[in-house]
Amino acid sequence: MGYALPHRRVDNEALAAELGIASGEIEERTGVRSRYYAAEGEGPSDLAKRATAVALAEAGGSPADLDLVIFATMTPDFTFPGSACFLQDKLGCGTTGALDVRAQCAGFLFALEIAHGLLEAGGHRRILVAAGDVHSSGLDFTAAAADVTPLFGDGAAAAVVDAAGEGLLGSVLRTDASALESFWCEYPASRRFPLRFVPADLEARNHFPRIDRERVERDGLEKIVEGVEEVLSQAGLSKQDVNRYVLHHVFPGIAERAARKLGVAERTSYGGRDEAHVASASLPIALCRAREEGLVSSGDLVCLATAGAGVNWGASLVRL
Amino acid sequence: MGGGRSRIVGVGMHVPDHVVTNADLTLRMETTDEWVQQRTGIRERHHITEDTGAADLGAVAARQALAQAGLRAEDVDLILFATLSPDYDFPASACVLQRLLGVRGAPAIDVKNQCSGFVYGLAVADAFLRTGRARTVLLVGGEVHSTGIDLTTRGRDVGVIFGDGAGAVVLVAEPDSGRGILSTHLHAEGKYAEKLCLESAASRTRPRLSEEVFAGSSPAIFPRMDGRYVFKHAVTRFTEVILEALTANGLTPRDIDLLIPHQANLRISQLVAMGLELPEEKMFNNIERYGNTTAASIPIALCEALEAGKVRPGDVVCLAAFGAGFTWASALIRW
Repeated sequence: MGYALPHRRVDNEALAAELGIASGEIEERTGVRSRYYAAEGEGPSDLAKRATAVALAEAGGSPADLDLVIFATMTPDFTFPGSACFLQDKLGCGTTGALDVRAQCAGFLFALEIAHGLLEAGGHRRILVAAGDVHSSGLDFTAAAADVTPLFGDGAAAAVVDAAGEGLLGSVLRTDASALESFWCEYPASRRFPLRFVPADLEARNHFPRIDRERVERDGLEKIVEGVEEVLSQAGLSKQDVNRYVLHHVFPGIAERAARKLGVAERTSYGGRDEAHVASASLPIALCRAREEGLVSSGDLVCLATAGAGVNWGASLVRL
Repeated sequence: MGGGRSRIVGVGMHVPDHVVTNADLTLRMETTDEWVQQRTGIRERHHITEDTGAADLGAVAARQALAQAGLRAEDVDLILFATLSPDYDFPASACVLQRLLGVRGAPAIDVKNQCSGFVYGLAVADAFLRTGRARTVLLVGGEVHSTGIDLTTRGRDVGVIFGDGAGAVVLVAEPDSGRGILSTHLHAEGKYAEKLCLESAASRTRPRLSEEVFAGSSPAIFPRMDGRYVFKHAVTRFTEVILEALTANGLTPRDIDLLIPHQANLRISQLVAMGLELPEEKMFNNIERYGNTTAASIPIALCEALEAGKVRPGDVVCLAAFGAGFTWASALIRW
């Protein structure tokens, strides 16, 4: 596994100045301390290429050994083709298949499950699961978005998954779209007649993400707890059997509350406070960081869980 | 369910009512019916005429497919939506579809693989079913292109090709009786990503949406295509991936009962069939009536082929696609 963050770190002071709000307000309101922003021309596939280099160095082997590239993103390099195609080219993978999935914040867990399904079904031996988002190019940098923009950051992660490994012990993936407008970005909207995006939309600022904080926090807490409990019960394990929990939510405080509610706070790592919400890549970045800090090591049983836009949520048990 | 197979047990399709003929297009751009037919085989396509999303079209197709399968939306434990024209920027159209079907709980995700999206989705569905990860999968291919193409003379090379529509299939896992999906084959070659693409909203451009995306002779908000390049690669890769599927199952082109190619361009399909020495009646095309509906074209064509009685139990059906990415893929099915 590996991860990559853009080189430019943006702290709250710098961002507050850009948004025209008081410094200090951001951390108080969002719990986020900093985030990383991609450079001009740098897309999710560029960040994922760096993450993949780290992952392949650890796994051994070369891009030529991959027989599928899966990319989870909600902010693709281009509207089409998907970012997996761009990554496939940047890695020099020949004619290896490239699959893009859009599952928002839970994208990595969905992509990981697809990879394991394909490996177990046969026909594939080694799959690259990449997740990456570049949010910063699509955010509102005015005071009107002071509660939303600071939440997001850019980054990517990648995992090389082999047929041989024990890997994924179980996962629970769910969607409940009954309140999908609580965390969404409406435009460009292909469903709008006659044009999905027009210059007036820029003025109306409805091409920026919107969050109904109260609803998203309530759903997030409930779904993360539910996901963890369900995946454990499905695997016949207790909370104590897990060496480390990695939880993530767009509001870092929610993941922390979920851990306390589950009674596992002393064994939990979180994404979000330092690199903000990277959506699909947040969980694997947090896992990589926990590993760097020596909080998890080879052979450990790790439970990853998140809930985000959709609402899509998931929890997975991974043997490192 | 290890060792089982996945089988399509229901199909459905839906297109908007409004038909746009080549003659209609000549009122908006400099082109002729003859020019469009000669190069693409397309006579007409369907466009939405009021706010309608890929998920709205997909929901109608999905209900038909579920009814045909004798299943309810509650029975579905995975929703896959193949589209390159999602209803909203996010979340995915699969989420919108789930709500339209009035259910909650089953995971719902979009597969974004352009023209190959349906076959890539089929590979994912097949893996989930064969490994017991799901028992019933709803796979929809749906697109609303008409709101994102340039229907003036400037954009005519792309504008005349695409149509709106959706197709759906319901798949279930069964003990292996020899029927069902035999294999799937997925490929891509990202070095040609910009030969057929839609740049904006491009997250790698800062800001990704601005006045600039509307500017220039080829605005980034509309798709662009190097038609000749795509055509040449399509013929080669279609043929290659169909042969790959056949070889993997110890079969030859003579064993194909029906080939359903992605409806990219009638001339491409004809050249592929010629190369495989496949007689005309063993290939199904309906591009003349729908244009290129990308991820929706194969399930729409499958639906019509079944209705026309062109597929019988035991038949070897080959689905194949090629498109933007480039991505290409095939699936071999024993019906």
